[in-house]
This record gives sequence, structure tokens and C-alpha cells, in this order.
Amino acid sequence: MIPFLTYPLALLALASLPALAAIYILRNRFRRRPVSSLVLWRFNVQSKPGGAKIHRLQLPLLFFLELLGLLLLVVAAAGPHWQLPQSTRPLIVVLDDSFSMRAVHHDLSAQARAADFLEKLFHQPPPSTRFILAGTQPRLLDAPVRGWPEAAKLLAQWKCWSPGAAIDSAITLAAEIGRQQANILVLTDHGPADEKISNPRLEWRAFGAPLDNLAMVNASRTAFGDQDRCLLEIANYSGELRTAQLLVQAGSNDVQRTTLSIGARGEQRLVFNIPAATPLLRASLEPDALVEDNDVRLLPPVRKRVRVQVALTNAAWSSLINQTLEATGLRAAISDQPELVIHESDTMAGSNSWSLRWLSPAGTTAYVGPFILDNSHPLAMGLTLEGVVWAAAACTNTSGEIPILLAGNTPLLSAREDALGRRHLTLNFNPGLSTLQNTPDWPILFWNLLQWRAAESPGLRESNARLGTEVELKTTGEPITVIRPDDTSTVFPKTGGDLALETPLPGLYSVLAGTSTNRFAVNPLAADESDLSRCTTGQWGAWSEETERRFQETSAVWIFGLAALAILVTHLYLLAAGKGGR
Amino acid sequence: MDPAIRQALNHGERLGGRYALQIPQVAASGWTGSRSGRRTGSSIDFQDYREYEPGDDLRFIDWGIYARSDRLTVKLFREEVTPHLDLILDGSRSMNLENTAKAEAAAGIAALLAAAATNAQCTRSVWLSGEGFQRLPNDTSPSSAWDSLEFNSQRTPEQSYEILAPKFRRLGVRVLVSDLLWPGNPLPTLRRLRDGAAALFVIQLLGRDDVNPPEHGNLRAADCETGEEIEIYIDATVARQYAGNLARLQQSWADACRQCGARMTTLVAEELEQSLGELESIQLLAPA
Repeated sequence: MIPFLTYPLALLALASLPALAAIYILRNRFRRRPVSSLVLWRFNVQSKPGGAKIHRLQLPLLFFLELLGLLLLVVAAAGPHWQLPQSTRPLIVVLDDSFSMRAVHHDLSAQARAADFLEKLFHQPPPSTRFILAGTQPRLLDAPVRGWPEAAKLLAQWKCWSPGAAIDSAITLAAEIGRQQANILVLTDHGPADEKISNPRLEWRAFGAPLDNLAMVNASRTAFGDQDRCLLEIANYSGELRTAQLLVQAGSNDVQRTTLSIGARGEQRLVFNIPAATPLLRASLEPDALVEDNDVRLLPPVRKRVRVQVALTNAAWSSLINQTLEATGLRAAISDQPELVIHESDTMAGSNSWSLRWLSPAGTTAYVGPFILDNSHPLAMGLTLEGVVWAAAACTNTSGEIPILLAGNTPLLSAREDALGRRHLTLNFNPGLSTLQNTPDWPILFWNLLQWRAAESPGLRESNARLGTEVELKTTGEPITVIRPDDTSTVFPKTGGDLALETPLPGLYSVLAGTSTNRFAVNPLAADESDLSRCTTGQWGAWSEETERRFQETSAVWIFGLAALAILVTHLYLLAAGKGGR
Repeated sequence: MDPAIRQALNHGERLGGRYALQIPQVAASGWTGSRSGRRTGSSIDFQDYREYEPGDDLRFIDWGIYARSDRLTVKLFREEVTPHLDLILDGSRSMNLENTAKAEAAAGIAALLAAAATNAQCTRSVWLSGEGFQRLPNDTSPSSAWDSLEFNSQRTPEQSYEILAPKFRRLGVRVLVSDLLWPGNPLPTLRRLRDGAAALFVIQLLGRDDVNPPEHGNLRAADCETGEEIEIYIDATVARQYAGNLARLQQSWADACRQCGARMTTLVAEELEQSLGELESIQLLAPA
């Protein structure tokens, strides 16, 4: 069955068939014509059945040729495929790209053993082989290969640095690429979830070993006042108590040297503070089966301060705001070229700054709720407003402003964005009759405000990331160069807005934007990959007989095209020779 | 009468002014007229002498011969006759076929022959077939004065003859104008027409559509006289068969004409003026 509706050309060509038939039927209908006498027409006359109303159409050969030609073109337009028998099958290899494949057992990693197996497999190379890297997302590698040298070249991309292996997704992709006809080989370090593999085209081979492993599964460094607070979480993925030494270094100085004793399959967290000025912190465990998860690097957290100018005429309010801003710890010491201006006037303050306009409390009404809060807004995060009395002028929203907080139909807090991307907030608030400033919601609101403003300023959002995640970068339109730990670099031409940087390798990344350089550290923190207890060696499933016949779909468009061409040539010849009957 | 036929009559009359009917010698008999007959008569043209017989008009005795030879001898003079043209028109509907000029051509030929007969000092009668043969009103007048010339009969001339035969004048020249498209043996028809005639001419008048049917396609052919219809798919073979049928029909009429001593020609209605030479070639007309 040809799915005509999915082939508009075929549908159009098909529609021409009744049109052609109609043309011929109308053209070949019996035209009445008076003649002098039927005496000359008494020959070879078709017998007319008595009372018959339907007559067989006398259609010329050309009609049938045109009909056949159109039909052939219809079928050709539908892109027909024929299944042709093939004696051998192509191979699609799914490679586990997670970093657990790097675990070493008897001086050989699972990745190396899998590569050896592949090389032996290529002694009798399949007709064509494709590779799929099973990282957090399956990725198809280039074109099919036919020999080991080509395969070895492709396998250079198999680095095993992914924090996870989506093998099931990779198998699904392989089945789709192979049209359910190709053999699929999975090379990994663990067994399948279902021990019995029902797919006759799937073979699963594992080259891992159940090894004991101590790993760092969590690490962070956050701003904590004037200091940085570090968290390290170490897990013992073995069946017995393990003792290990943790070394924390800042540059060449030892910050901490701790002997850890962690029970079977237990975890231990270490939290400690270091001076904020400490540049790069490195924590490492003693080498074991998987060395990649024994080492983390933590850079100082991104501390963005916001330059705020408070331009309120009311001294009491100004003092209140200043105290609140200082309490957030996110305010910069200087207020030149402010990034946020808090004012009462209607005029815009600053050229590149956000503004918070404090509405003059004229005709104040006190609201005790309920308050309608846009919880998806960055300013609303953490606000509860329980028991709050909010005094505000009873007014309606000005055009273009989107309310964030409402009391009935009175906007208490609203925001709008201008053409330059600046945010302008309006706070309808009379502290004289309100209790908001005496509740935790008050500092939360201003902390949210400064945090939001800081997040919108150029630079990295974070300086430490997990392997495989994306690091967000706010750009100002300058070209960005990212240098990876393996010293390869990627240049992003002028970009504006947010840029998400991939982290395929662990280590230190440098981001060059104009004259400034930012760095961030990427650490392989993945508990599932560090847990080698489920790794094993073995084979599950096997391909059916290699010599069994299979069918491969081959396009047959050219056959129908050639046939249509032959029909058209015949049509032309008959027309030229006058033998077509019309 | 159809204005187109009236116009064709006028046109034929003008054309006929250039021709005169050729009268065969055998036809030089008839009513007393202005044309020399083949027998003795009362004209002033001397023809012969013969012995006087009782009853001869004494006014024609040549008294000079009696004085010289003492024998009564009478002078014989050629008679003066008026030859006659019987013009027989096929009044069937096929002579007024749609999309052809057959009716106008038939009227034109009739007017032309009438004018040519006048030029040849012939009298004429115009017979139109229909429910029997009827003389056309005012047929002795110039053709512009003719009336009721209509081709709407469902009967062939042969059938009309059976109903009411025309009263032809003996030894007249008879001309049949018809498309001759009816089945049957033409010989009996021709013999009846030829009987008592000095000469018989048959002019077959066909339309272009009669000669050249459509080349290809499905055709529902409707007989304009009987209304009978047949459906035919025309291709090259059928076209050849049609042409063969027409040729056989014409050949049968030509053979019958030969047997009866008649002369036949075929004209195409739409090419009438170019075909008038055919009427000269069968010695029906001569330049006036």
C-alpha cells in the first residue's frame, strides 16, 4: 500500500488520472451528426443492443499509454522500495562512553578490552559498521566503516568521559538506523537489565569487573560570607570498611589532610571553610580502580556584586533600603555606574541600569491579603507574605507593566522590560502603614532583586560544574573563546544573551571574552559510574546465523521512471507515425 | 422559400447567362418553334424535293419544275421546333443537409440550366420530387420568379416516382439533379427517366461532408431523411470503407447511365463554380 497522503506529488499525479479519463471520455463521446443517408455507413457498424444506455467507450491506444505512463509516475513519486535479499548484515556497535569504562582491572581498562575485542572482530570485517557512542545521549559517529584502520580512526572519539550511558536509547537508535535488519553489538562494562535478550539481532558484551572503589560523588564550593564553604562527599563502593586519605590542597599548600574510614557502601561528608581568596582547591584520594573519580578541583564561587544607587528622598526609607541591601551581601561597595537605581521619580535614572521606582504613597490603603503572587518570577522565590500588612496606593497598573504581586486588582510589585533589555520595577509600598519590612519577606525580596540583577550581568553563572552538565555564560556580544582541559579551543563568534557551554571533559576550562578571562572547573561526579560493583564480564544474546537471508530495502524509483520514459517514447513514436488512433 | 435559396437562384441565373444548353440532334423536335427541327416543316429553310402526292399543299408545288419536266414536284422545308428541358430536382431532405451548401447549389444549378435553356431557345419544366413529382410554380418564368423550391421531402426521387410520375415531354432533354444517395438499383430509375427523352443527364450533387466524413472519433450518424441513427467509431479503416462505399455507389450509377445512354457527372456543392466545366465536358452546356 503506497501512502499517497504522505507523498503530495504522488497524490497530484493520481488526481490527474481521473482528469485524463474525463478528457478522453468527453472527447470520445458519440457526437451526433446528421448525414445525407446511412447508405454509405452500412459497414462494420457496432451492433447496438436493444435499449442499451451504456456503451463501451472506444478509447485509442494513446489513452492507455498515457494512463500507464501516469500510473508509473504516480508510483515513482511515491518512492517505492523493494526488498532485495542480502546474504550478510551490517553491524552497528554501541559503545559505552561513560567513565566507568575507564576502571582498570589487571592493568587494562574495560574500554581497552572492548577495543581489543573490536579489533579481533574486524579480522573478518562486516560489510559495513557504524558506531554509536552511548553517553548521556546516544551519538552516531560519522559514516560507516569497512575496515579496522577506519574504525580505529573513529574510535579516537571514544573517550569514555560521559557521566552516564544511555545504552537503551543507543540500542533504539541503532535499530532504527539498521531498519531492524542490522546486527547490533553493545560493548560496555555491565550486564543488561534483562538477563535474557529476546532480540535475535542484539549481542551484549561486557568487559568490566566488580571492583572496590572509593569515589568523590559530590563536591561544591559556595560563598559563605567572607569565606568559601566547601563540601566533599566520599562514597565507599565496596563490601567492606575502607580507609583512605583525603588530601585537600590549595596550590602547593596542603589545606587539609584527613584519614577517612568509611563503612561498606557508606558515604561521608566533609564540610569546611577556606578563605575566599584561595584560588583553586584540589581534593584527591589515593589511587584505586577508577582514578578519575578520586580527584576534584574547585574554583572560588562566582561572587557577583551589584552596584546599587539609592536615590530616595525620604531619609527613613533610604536608611531602611540601605540596611536591607547591605544585609544581602550582594551589594557592591561602590555605586558609580549603578546597575540598579532605587528612586521615587518618574524619570529614568542611569543609562544601563535597572530601576526600582518606589511609588509615592498617596491615598494609601492597607492590604492584609490575599496576595496574588507570580511564583515563576525570580523576585517571588521564597516569598510567603503570611500575615503581612502591605499598605499601598490604590491604583491600577500602567500599560506595559506586568504585575508580579497583586492585592486584588492593585499591583503592589510590577515589572517591565524596555527595548534595551533593562528591567524597570515599580514597588507600590508605604512602609509607614506596613509590616512587610518587619518580616523575613522583606530581605528575601531584596535578595531576590539583587540576585536577579547579578544573574543578568555578564560572566559565568557558576565556577564549578559536574561533568556533562552545561555551564551558562552571560555574554555581552563579544566573541567567546573556550579552551578545554585538553587545550582544544572553540570560538563562538559574536553572540548575545546566554551561552550554554558543554563540559565533555573534566578539568579546568577557560573562557576568554574580550580582555577578561573566566575559568570554571568540571569534575566527574557521578555516583552511578563510580559504583563498579555491578560491573562484570560476559556475553548476553547472540546474533542469528550470519548467512541467513535478510532483506534490504532498495529504492525502485528508477525502474518506474525508466518504464514511464519508455512509455512516453512509444507515445511520441505513435503520435509521429499517426498510429495512435487519435 | 428560404432566402438563401432565393439568392442562389438569382446567382445561378446570372451564371447561366454565360451558357446555352447543348441540344442533341435527336432532340430537335417538338412543338413548333423558332429552332430548326430534324423533320420537314413550314419554315423558310429549303430541305428537299419529292414527287407530289395527293393531299400535298398545292402552295408548295414547284411550278418551274412542272414547266420544265411536266412533273408535279413539291418543295419540302425544314420544320421549326422548340426543344424542351425537363429539369428534375431531388427534393429530399438530404439535399438540404446541415452544414453543407447542397440546397443552395441545387437551386443554383437549376437556375443556371434554366437560363442556359432560355439561351438555347428551349422551353423547360422544373420538376421537384416530394409526395410525387410536382412542377415548380412559375417554372416557365425566369428562375427568380420560381416559388416553393424547398428540399424537405422524406422520400427519395424513386419513391416519388412511384407516387406520381412526372409528365415529361417526349424527346426533351432531361436533367436529374440529386445526390443519388439512396439504396437500390439505379437502373430502373434511370430507364424510366430515359424513356422518351432525347437525352438524359445525371448531375450528382454532393456536399463536402458527404465526400469527406470526419477522420476520427465516435460519431452518431443520423439519417436526415429517416431519422435513423447509428453509432460508429471512425478510424482510418472505417474512413477507407466509407470512401469505398461512395465509390461503389457512384460506379453503379455510372454503369446504369452507360447502359441507358445517359451522361453523369459529380459536383461538390461547396465548389460549384469551379466545377461548371464538368457540365461542359458532358456536353450539357456550351458557352453562349
